[in-house]
Amino acid sequence: MEPKSDIFSKRLLVAVLWNIGLQIFLAVGLIFIIQVDLLHPLSWLTSTVNDIFGWKMSINIILLALVSFFQAYIYGSYYMMPLPKYFTRFSMFLNMLSIQNAIFIVLYALSGYFTMGLYSSLAKSKFNLLKKQCESYDGQCLLEQSLFLQFGGMWMGLYYFMNVHIFSTTVLMFPHIYQDKFQQIKIAVNNILSMGFKNSMAPVTYYCIFYYLWGNKPRSFVSDVYSLYLEDPPLDNIIILITSGIWIGLWFYTSLFFISVYTMKAVFNIVLTEPMKFPIVSDSCLTLQNALAQRSQFNGYLGAQDLRIMSMTDGLRRAHIFTLSQPGGHPRNWNGLLEQCLGIITDFSKQLDCINGEPKSDMNKSTLRPVLNGSAYSKIPYSDTLRNMAQSPKLLNLKDNKNNAEDTFSNAVKEEFNVLLNKLCQKPGISYMFGELTDIKLKYVLMQAQPVMWTCEGLSFIAAASLNEDKYGVVQNDLPIIISALMNLKQNLEKLTKPGLVPRKHILNDTFAIKMKAGLLSSVKRSIYKIVITFSKYIHEIPLDPEVQIAIQPFLMCKEA
Amino acid sequence: MSAFHGFPDLPGPDEVALCKLNEVYCCGNARYGNITTFTNATKKHPVINVTRDIHHHRLSDENISMYIDVEDNLFKKITSVWYKQGFLEALSVAADPTVNRESQFLAVTASYFLKVANVFSTFRYFLQPHLKDIGPKIVSNYSRTRSWGNAPIKCLAWHPHATKIAVATVDDNVRIYCSEVSFVSTLKCKAQGHVSSLSWRPFSASELAVGCEQGVIVWTVDPNSMFTKPSSSNAVVLKRSGHNPVTDVSWSPNGDLLISCSGADTSMLVWDVSMETSIPLKRVAGGGIVFSRWSFDASKVFAATSSIIFRVWETKRWTPERWCARGCRVVAACWGPKDVVLFAAKGEPMIYALTNTGLMSGTQTSKALAVLDVTKVELPSGDCVGGPILDMCWDPTGRYLALLFEESHLIAIFCTTQLMMQLKITPCCFVSGLENELPSTMAFQQNFTEGACLTIAWSSGRVQHFPIIYTDGY
Repeated sequence: MEPKSDIFSKRLLVAVLWNIGLQIFLAVGLIFIIQVDLLHPLSWLTSTVNDIFGWKMSINIILLALVSFFQAYIYGSYYMMPLPKYFTRFSMFLNMLSIQNAIFIVLYALSGYFTMGLYSSLAKSKFNLLKKQCESYDGQCLLEQSLFLQFGGMWMGLYYFMNVHIFSTTVLMFPHIYQDKFQQIKIAVNNILSMGFKNSMAPVTYYCIFYYLWGNKPRSFVSDVYSLYLEDPPLDNIIILITSGIWIGLWFYTSLFFISVYTMKAVFNIVLTEPMKFPIVSDSCLTLQNALAQRSQFNGYLGAQDLRIMSMTDGLRRAHIFTLSQPGGHPRNWNGLLEQCLGIITDFSKQLDCINGEPKSDMNKSTLRPVLNGSAYSKIPYSDTLRNMAQSPKLLNLKDNKNNAEDTFSNAVKEEFNVLLNKLCQKPGISYMFGELTDIKLKYVLMQAQPVMWTCEGLSFIAAASLNEDKYGVVQNDLPIIISALMNLKQNLEKLTKPGLVPRKHILNDTFAIKMKAGLLSSVKRSIYKIVITFSKYIHEIPLDPEVQIAIQPFLMCKEA
Repeated sequence: MSAFHGFPDLPGPDEVALCKLNEVYCCGNARYGNITTFTNATKKHPVINVTRDIHHHRLSDENISMYIDVEDNLFKKITSVWYKQGFLEALSVAADPTVNRESQFLAVTASYFLKVANVFSTFRYFLQPHLKDIGPKIVSNYSRTRSWGNAPIKCLAWHPHATKIAVATVDDNVRIYCSEVSFVSTLKCKAQGHVSSLSWRPFSASELAVGCEQGVIVWTVDPNSMFTKPSSSNAVVLKRSGHNPVTDVSWSPNGDLLISCSGADTSMLVWDVSMETSIPLKRVAGGGIVFSRWSFDASKVFAATSSIIFRVWETKRWTPERWCARGCRVVAACWGPKDVVLFAAKGEPMIYALTNTGLMSGTQTSKALAVLDVTKVELPSGDCVGGPILDMCWDPTGRYLALLFEESHLIAIFCTTQLMMQLKITPCCFVSGLENELPSTMAFQQNFTEGACLTIAWSSGRVQHFPIIYTDGY
């Protein structure tokens, strides 16, 4: 069995290599364009080739590689972790101040600085060095333009970091259809170029304002440290700043920086989201079932995606699912898969249930309680023809004792403390900072809905395919469970939209989450439709709960919106 | 021997074909004849008759000239033209000496600007000839509906699982007729103009994609709702610059993806509707993508371009297989069971079949087989049938093939049987309209269990359900 992150790190490495390749391509393209000399095409070509194979370029490539390893590290650490859970304003605020973010800030600022310097040196601009020979004095003077640019590079790194990681959450977006990497990059490049030039306008404006207000500080600091003279008029004067035209240069380099960062992001996205084929049965590598078991991690995503693709297109692997294990004749493959899928779906339902409100969970507890009490339990262990060792009366007694033991003083204190905490949290100021935000919780849950969607669709397609392909009736046994799990999820999702249950002010204001919710609801409904329409002739032979039976009627009559 | 040899005779002058019951061609009096005397299979089907008076007012390109011109001053005229039709049109108004009598200077500068702009646009059209036509013209050029601009019914689509039909009328409203409820929902929103195609989402009761000039509108119409005019909040408009007018929309049979095509765009868009994101699919050569068709198991997509090239995309990795039609662009295509696709080129009375593309035949050089020659002939009754094909429909079971011809007022239905990868086509029957009626468009019902039911929209606005029923004994 492969270690957990093996697939991920392999892909990350591939992405880095792809990225370095593309970045070099970008740099070469830049050199080629900058040295344009239509009158002397030969010298144009030779100088380009000279530059490309010069020492400067190789240093730049090393720099680029370093930057892209930085990025890989950052992306890796973002995508490997499950999404962080921060439901209160306070914890969100604390999260911003984490050590990891501090490291990232430094890394991004550095990468902005490097990239900016790199492109400006490739473009042969004269603003590469901070110092220059003074014209009127004897000695060295500060070249403020280059300070402006280098400082701007760091600013852009910070700006990008803030925009992408602090003010929005990074979620790996899987494209809905997968094409070859090359095709995808071809499509992406066009988009990236226009986006880069467009999106760089805002930060340049901010930076110019910033420099106008605060520019004298870094200037005096740098000139003090290097003991440089100031010769030219300072740049923190609007007219001089505009007439010097340095902002055009800054805009150009910022665009290049953004293009390179977007390219990186696009390449990572393309390489990481490539569908992976997991075998159903295997001794050596990760099976589909085990991949699915790693829920919200990267492998879980790949597993769910593969489940969907497999159920729709791959008849061969579907056949594997429908087989029985050789000694014994148990549908082991199917059972394992079903367990994981149902786990994913019911867990998600439960999370939604929690958001929908506490009353339901209370009811669950009260219905569970009597079952746990011995009197109600006494019949159960031997009700089946098979004796269940796990539920022997002795064990029940043990469990009961344990329950009793827990009702001690410490528990009482804990409860009291919780009540106190709850009361404290109701106070206006404190509740603002420490109160849980339902919409953020909901958003957090919905962010992870993608694998659930795939699982629902995958499961329903396998079920539908089983009508013709499943010789032993392996899947049909479990149809009631599948239908009721899907139905449960659908009902929980619909509760979210019903007014009154979620307080009005907690309406989602995040378009991504809203779309995600609509997408999930649509895919769950389609899954139910798929099963119900496929089995419409035999639906009355499926032993369903009366509740589910009623809930399924609108689907049968094609009346469910 | 002509393909039309062996068809039953056309009904008499006062009669009209109503249905076909177990090889019996049933006709009735044109005025009093009733299909219920033969069969009850279509008894509950919605009765649709689109007459002129149910149309809403619409502001189309044709009737702008209907209004009486009010003499505005020049500046106002130019700005209003600019606002409505764009900068170039405004320039041409300013340069037009019959309109612009006041300012000579403006006229001269405008004419010079226009000349420069013309040089640019001719260069652009030289590079991208498919962009030459504007919106509705493109749609009517590529539409499979007869006289798309004037026909009372522009297109129709049956729901895949329910007896529910969506009809786009000439005023660009989409009406939904259902067998169970008597009222008709009318879908209309501001963005919905020049409707070219309709498609119901499979495995959903409520979602309908409408291809129109601006893009694709996906309506969600709750089947339980009693509103006859759902508000536009139920609609999502999917747009992308350069991708208009949309000439065709089609949902994947799994209901997860939506493909939209535009005759003016060389890429075909695959939409994830809930996330409102699209991925363009594009390959070199071929011009605009006119329409696309999904195979039954969603494993392939047939995409026809505005040139002789057409492609068969494989949907696992989305790689195309390129084919060239002989002579002209592909005008109609339909998939049948076992991944057989039939297609016809424009202006050619011939139907080709492409069987198991790529997999069995293996080589790229393999040709499509001509399976049916429908050269125009005159029937003993004096009617003409055959000729260039306008549209083609294959019923979901793959037993009946209906053909609509450019130069004939008859619809020809053929029986098709697939035996050992061999497609056998035998005559079935003709369907003709009442006096002076021409068939505009047609579609097979998707969930008709008794056989096949062809729904035909006639140029008079009448919609006819023509069931072909067979019981197992036959």
